[in-house]
Amino acid sequence: MTSPDTVAIETDVLIVGGGLAGLSAAIAAAERGARVAILEKAGIERSGAIGGGVDHFIAYLEAGEPWDTRDAYLRWIGTMARGAVDLRVHNAIYCRELKAAIERLARIGNPLTQPDGTYYRTAALGMPGPYAVNFNGKHLKPRLAKVVRGLGCQVMDRVATTNLLCNGGRVAGAMGFQIRTGEFVVAQAKATVVTTGRVDRLFENPTGIHFNTWQCPSDVGAAQAMAFRAGAALANMEYLRITVVPKGFAAAGLNALTGMGGRFINAMGEQFMARYDPRGDKAPRYRLAQAVMEENHAGRGPVFIDCRQLTAKQMEHLYATLSYDKDTLPDFLAQKGIDLAKDPVEVMAAEGHLGGPAEGVGSGLVIDETCGSTLEGLFAAGDCTNAASTASPAVTSGCAAGKAAAAYALKAQQGQPSREQVEAEREWVVAPLRRKEGILPREMEETAARIMWQQVGPARTEAGMRAGLDKLLRLEAHLDQLRARDLHELMRANEVRDLLLIGKIMATAALYRRESRFGIYHRRLDCPEMEDAWNGQVRVKNEGGRIAVSFCPLSAEVPEP
Amino acid sequence: MPPRIDGVKCNGCGICDEHCPVDVLRMDEGSGLAFAKYAEECWHCGVCRLDCPTEAIDFVFPPQMLLI
Repeated sequence: MTSPDTVAIETDVLIVGGGLAGLSAAIAAAERGARVAILEKAGIERSGAIGGGVDHFIAYLEAGEPWDTRDAYLRWIGTMARGAVDLRVHNAIYCRELKAAIERLARIGNPLTQPDGTYYRTAALGMPGPYAVNFNGKHLKPRLAKVVRGLGCQVMDRVATTNLLCNGGRVAGAMGFQIRTGEFVVAQAKATVVTTGRVDRLFENPTGIHFNTWQCPSDVGAAQAMAFRAGAALANMEYLRITVVPKGFAAAGLNALTGMGGRFINAMGEQFMARYDPRGDKAPRYRLAQAVMEENHAGRGPVFIDCRQLTAKQMEHLYATLSYDKDTLPDFLAQKGIDLAKDPVEVMAAEGHLGGPAEGVGSGLVIDETCGSTLEGLFAAGDCTNAASTASPAVTSGCAAGKAAAAYALKAQQGQPSREQVEAEREWVVAPLRRKEGILPREMEETAARIMWQQVGPARTEAGMRAGLDKLLRLEAHLDQLRARDLHELMRANEVRDLLLIGKIMATAALYRRESRFGIYHRRLDCPEMEDAWNGQVRVKNEGGRIAVSFCPLSAEVPEP
Repeated sequence: MPPRIDGVKCNGCGICDEHCPVDVLRMDEGSGLAFAKYAEECWHCGVCRLDCPTEAIDFVFPPQMLLI
């Protein structure tokens, strides 16, 4: 292949990433009269972290209890985040949109209620009350996809987006390529919304299977990387997020297992979690992950979650719920010979990823109360932002971003993309296919993931992180030797570029934050104490190729509605 | 590890290939049947099995995941 054919499109609102936040944004923008186009790497029906299903939706319902209010919810978010989130932004993109989001889900045929019309709510992960609304989200994604197509949105499936189009400090769309045909795609838009989720495949996998990841392995930080290259500010990039999963299979379900009353036990049958946190098994996620790791390191493993004390009815609900996130988890348990009613299930700390430091809070683009990034013409929603994380904030912020992007687009002029920029990107996209020799993307990626785990992992020091940063820089110097044997591998080659950048950013931000917080999410052996002076966000920005770092203090004060 | 596709039940509709979020599956040009071309990238989300109209797909986890 010499130069690929180019597909050029032009629209009002361009959405990059057709996951839960992206489709929510598409619906909101289209309903406001904007022309909408979506660039999705796979197919919108089943793409992203919740493509195969989701088991709960965090929500306060204002049903009467003191914890069930906006104020109590924001106090929980603020207490857990300790300055890692701007509560005014979270209030705007989540609380103000929540009621409408719940109604919309019901309208499209996927209500949050149980078949009998009631809500089934559970508490876990440090919540003051049962905010986790358990529901069957197995077909939420295809239902949303149907609405999106029905609204006439221009859906471009199988397009891997590689970079934003910039025009004089303004974002004017994005570029990428079709992963089956090889066509280069140039999408001009008056407003661009990035919604590519969290960052997986960033750290070495404990099972040795690199794609055995908790969240979707297609999500590798395209938004964070592209936006950074274009000059947008990012925040919370220093945090390594780890959850607890069944040993051998990075399947989600911790919220379900602990929410239903599962108890952590070690090899001696001791319920050890109380030693690590007064909340015991309902402690925040970072505590649970750290405790599991430390029990194993101390020689008291294997570690298990014990659900044998659940009633038959509770067990039935648990098994159903566990299948909602990863449909194959019940198969895994059965093939492993585990019946949760009779056997404790061994668990492990999952692979590290970038997914926000606390519940509801993300790592990524700095956004304001209208989901606007720090770049003109660029909006963001969901897990790729610094103010949202997990399913319900993805839906609400997606809607907020879609509305804001549509309003912006309907008043904006279409920018002209720079020819040099388009040609440079096309060259980058095509080059690995032309090389007959070189480095395979998987080799480079797994090397980076090993460096990240060893140097920027759960036990950080200045010397270790500087060594890691140096190694990542040297690895990055080999990007121009990447070789791809087919278009699928070309997609992976492009992803490696983004992962290396995000790794460097994480190391840089972690070096800057000279303290420790959230347990292993940012644990500095050389600065082991948490200091209130660091309550806030470390922010990064591209300044002439350099990663410039600053600090933005934030309070946990609950804002007005 | 990859989904197992039953060669008799698979009708070659291609829905599993279209829906896989990680681009693991392809349709074999000769047989017209689905197969996991990038098997090591399967993350066992089960979407292919969910959406297969002929129930031609099942999952057998490898020892690397079951026995660790």
